[in-house]
Amino acid sequence: MADPMSCEEATDLLALDAVGALEASDRDLIERHVATCESCKRAAAQYADLASLLPAALEVAPPPARLRRRLMAQVYAEATASARLPWWRRVLAAIPASRTFTAVGAVAVVAAIVFGIFALAGRNASPPPVAYTVSGTTATGTLAVNTAGTQAVLTVKGLAALPSTEAYEVWLIPPRGSPKGVAFLSPGLGGGPWTAVVPGSLAGYKSIAATVEPAGGSPTPSNTEVLSGQLGES
Amino acid sequence: MHLSDDDIVRSISAHSPEGIEALYDRYGGLAHTVALRILGDRGAAEDVVQESFLAVWRRAATFQAGRGSLRAWICTIVRNRAIDRLRGDRHRTRLDTPMEGESIEPAVSDPWAAVALELSGQEVRKALDELPAEQRQTIELAYYAGYSQSEIATKMEVPLGTVKGRVRIALDKLRTSLADRLETPWPTQ
Repeated sequence: MADPMSCEEATDLLALDAVGALEASDRDLIERHVATCESCKRAAAQYADLASLLPAALEVAPPPARLRRRLMAQVYAEATASARLPWWRRVLAAIPASRTFTAVGAVAVVAAIVFGIFALAGRNASPPPVAYTVSGTTATGTLAVNTAGTQAVLTVKGLAALPSTEAYEVWLIPPRGSPKGVAFLSPGLGGGPWTAVVPGSLAGYKSIAATVEPAGGSPTPSNTEVLSGQLGES
Repeated sequence: MHLSDDDIVRSISAHSPEGIEALYDRYGGLAHTVALRILGDRGAAEDVVQESFLAVWRRAATFQAGRGSLRAWICTIVRNRAIDRLRGDRHRTRLDTPMEGESIEPAVSDPWAAVALELSGQEVRKALDELPAEQRQTIELAYYAGYSQSEIATKMEVPLGTVKGRVRIALDKLRTSLADRLETPWPTQ
């Protein structure tokens, strides 16, 4: 079908779209036009870039440090879980879930799986994130180390809530010498797993543990371990 | 080591957690500022920022980066999610939703990172202040309050075509005004 829209009309709609004011009813029209018009495609990108400068006029509101910790704990936990899935689950997970599973879609899935075997064979050449298991009387969890070995995330289920005066402190324990307090576990949203980012390399430590300590932490562990794990073989 | 926006895009497309980390370190502040301006609530803004970066992570291999710079892309994701939360409308479909579709393309991004670095907040504020009040208000109703063209027309009691014209003219003026303040040439795609 012929494109009924001129570039002049399209530019007006692209400007509206860049600031988020485009009507849903105009979306198909503009998508159809942009698909066949290189200059309007460039205009779309330029308006989007221009609109992205609008927030520069705002007073910067830096996010709290806990947001970064929470985000990266979730990302590393999912990276570890994904690395443990069989190849066919990873391929299926990469296919957008909301796409309608039509006959064409089915063919695409099969093609993606076949392609995925080769792609993943290549990807497997690089090591997946290392993960260690931790456990306690009621708790189980995972310590996932990033591929660079510069940071790890501890994810734990089954820990009881604590009063505000107490915290779960995480310790790295060397073969000799005192345990080093490295992090505090934070409760997950909506009863999700507890997480803590453990900064730095784990080299030189034999195990990891967590204990209940006063909210500000302790110089050395003062209570029995609620969970622990060896840092040898994963 | 300095990573360019293109390095970050490549890292994200390889589904590397370090890619998301770098993306957050570069644009997390911007994302939080946008979400907080729209929602006015710290808890809700944090949730939206976390959801947005997790969405990027979970659909890393399928996002569409050809439509603009990395900065524009993350701004759009965060803004749309914040507006959806503000309006309780989770069913809007948008051209700019980048979670499905084409494979990742290297973004034409570094010139825009340079522009963003070179322009101070004060310069952008000044350029916005130079717009006629009705144009500035139209842009703000759209970008920060999530009103559509027809909603803005009703709110400001003007014809639909006037809203369309005001947005386009305002953005064109902003471009001219900001380009005049730059030492480097205004990027072209």
